[in-house]
Amino acid sequence: MSRETLGPATAADEAMAKTILTVDDSASVRQMVKFTLADAGYTVIEAVDGEDALAKLTVPVHMVITDLNMPNLDGIGLIRKLRAGPACKGIPILMLTTESQEARKQEGKAAGATGWIVKPFTTQQLLAVVKRVLG
Amino acid sequence: MIDQYKQAFQEEARELLAELESALLELDQNRGDRDVVGRAFRALHTIKGSGAMFGFDDIAGFTHHLEGAFDRLRNGTLAVTADLIRLSLGASDQIKAMLDEAAGQGAADASRSEAILAEVRQLTGPAPAEAAAAPVAAGQTPLAETGVTRQWRIRFRPGGGVLLNGTNPLLLLAELRALGRLEVRVDTEAVPALDEIDPEQCYLAWDLTLETAAPREAIRDVFIFVEDDSELTIEAVSGAAAATPAPAKRAGNKPGGAPAQTAPQSASSIRVSCDKLDQLVNLVGELVTVQARLSEASARFNDAEILDIAESVEQLTAALRENSMSIRMLPLRSTFERFRRLVHDLAIDLGKDVELSIEGADTELDKTVIDQLNDPLVHLIRNSMDHGVEPPAARLAAGKPSKARIHLAATHSGAHVLIRVSDDGRGLDVEAVRARAIEQGLIEGTARLSEAEIFALIFEPGFSTARQVTDVSGRGVGMDVVRRNVEALHGSVEVASQPGAGLTVTLRLPLTLAIIDGLLVRVCDSHFVLPLANSLECIELTGAALEEAHGNHLANVRGEMIPYVRLREYFQMDAARPEREQIMVVDTEYGRYGFAVDEVLGDHQTVIKNLGKAYRNVPVVSGATILGNGTVALILDPHRLVQNIIQTVSLDRRHVGAARTRQEFEGVEI
Repeated sequence: MSRETLGPATAADEAMAKTILTVDDSASVRQMVKFTLADAGYTVIEAVDGEDALAKLTVPVHMVITDLNMPNLDGIGLIRKLRAGPACKGIPILMLTTESQEARKQEGKAAGATGWIVKPFTTQQLLAVVKRVLG
Repeated sequence: MIDQYKQAFQEEARELLAELESALLELDQNRGDRDVVGRAFRALHTIKGSGAMFGFDDIAGFTHHLEGAFDRLRNGTLAVTADLIRLSLGASDQIKAMLDEAAGQGAADASRSEAILAEVRQLTGPAPAEAAAAPVAAGQTPLAETGVTRQWRIRFRPGGGVLLNGTNPLLLLAELRALGRLEVRVDTEAVPALDEIDPEQCYLAWDLTLETAAPREAIRDVFIFVEDDSELTIEAVSGAAAATPAPAKRAGNKPGGAPAQTAPQSASSIRVSCDKLDQLVNLVGELVTVQARLSEASARFNDAEILDIAESVEQLTAALRENSMSIRMLPLRSTFERFRRLVHDLAIDLGKDVELSIEGADTELDKTVIDQLNDPLVHLIRNSMDHGVEPPAARLAAGKPSKARIHLAATHSGAHVLIRVSDDGRGLDVEAVRARAIEQGLIEGTARLSEAEIFALIFEPGFSTARQVTDVSGRGVGMDVVRRNVEALHGSVEVASQPGAGLTVTLRLPLTLAIIDGLLVRVCDSHFVLPLANSLECIELTGAALEEAHGNHLANVRGEMIPYVRLREYFQMDAARPEREQIMVVDTEYGRYGFAVDEVLGDHQTVIKNLGKAYRNVPVVSGATILGNGTVALILDPHRLVQNIIQTVSLDRRHVGAARTRQEFEGVEI
């Protein structure tokens, strides 16, 4: 699959650094996620909300990490849209939740999220979970 | 690094507070606006979440309660009041003060926080029940090793949609492997028939045995994202490996971990009469034929269940066939070793000094083949001893070591075994053979023959170059016996010789006479089988490729030009040529050649049936087999086919001249 084609990143892309899309309306969290993942060798694309995330999916990504509470298009809505299209079918999608959001977590899972990370989390915890679902 | 994040959070929180304030003021004007409530909630939510992330625990704790109130506004269980807005604005100021304090500017009044929260609680009633203990999240529980290695049996069947949800079960297995020694068994029971498979569904389950010092929670933690949708059991294997952490791994399959008792060494072989073995192979042959019928019929009915059974039968038949054939395979060693005595005795009789060397004695051949191989080999060795090898004096005079050498070697070549008998004697004199052949009326004096063709004459009945009749050979019963025996085994004989340097006779024998793996091809209405062991690959022959080759019978296989033969032309079949033909590229001893056919149908367990006497002189066909639908397919011998074509071309060249050759077999070069 060529880079121009919009679709799930495939084994052919494997040789290159894996690309992760991080979606969060909180700049500080985005920054932390970006620095942590970039430091671990991933390529990171940032988006400020669900709408922005969809707009930035012009390149194949290997994984999406999204916050749930966001303006315009929230995390659950984003996950549903991602799973409905071909570009993110079957790729891991992690959601960032807070401990008070058990119901939201279930909603996210039903929408197609692969897993979750509970805020607050440390950089080590983030990497551990990313490694678990992305390899 | 963390300071950098703190800095970013500070800036972000101030922006969020500004957003919160503007939302609150708007809300005061329009108390029913849900969107604005949402904005305020998100601002608080982000301040709380991000604050906790970067160590602003006091802010996170304080904001948490306020967020709870706005959550209730959001879902309508609480109404917006002027008091609430006043309180919220106060809270916003308080958060700002806390941020200032964290940035080293001034101090926030902790009692004021308490007062605001108390008022909020009064307005909203008790805070919604929170999961006080944070639910276990992946990788977030500190999981200390217990220090004792235990064995766990884990059964894991992920939900069918797990792949669509982005879970890669292999990564979970890899994560378990990081915990300790893991044995993985995959359960494919639930995989449906091919045409019912949804490739995006996961049909697999795993039975895992893990030896680890990590506690149960650590194992469960691996599955945390999938356990809701999966079948997951984690059981400790009682008492196992607790005391003996490291070795005795075999115990893994036995609950209780008792080491398996080694059975008393029983007899490693039994004697069975060859008749019984032959009968077994015959029956397997019949079974293979019936199985082909079953596969053919099931493909016609296209019923998933019958197809499934037919496939299982096919696999079992193939395994049974391989097994029963292997029972009949014997190494050549004992046959070869017997010749040491023969060479020793003959050397004394003939007054020659000869040493026999053996190579590839472990090569296995069908017992039937080996049994019938003895006579030709005896004949060849006698011939070498008598005619090939010189007496010591003559050898020394010719500058060779006085001790002569006869070499017996066996090697595999596709579905065949090559047995070479070579000596370092005087070799064959091409001219002498030719003269002798003319003398005996085998060829015309004017015949132009290639060296290989002249050597082939020594296999003609009655041919002998021996000057005198000896005890050993030269009684007119010549090499023709060798050829006849070998051909009865569907083999062939070749001679190579260098005058003065020796003679090599190569016997080419099929591995087995009963059943082979074949490749079924179709030309017009006829089916043929090519031995799979010789087949290399299958390529398309398109009109474009034909044009490119300018009508030559050459196919371009990744840059290499491979000559091919159209079987329909070779067998002179008159029927319209299909648009696309396929070429089977086979490996022969003459190099790689292609056979163009209409269609390659697939592999076929081929029970070799002998053709009647009428076909004995068709060397390119090594037998026939019965297909599933009852028709007969001829088994082709690619080596002989190529040989035959090369001969045809050279004959054409000689007798008819180059003109005809060009049109017929342009691609086949010698």
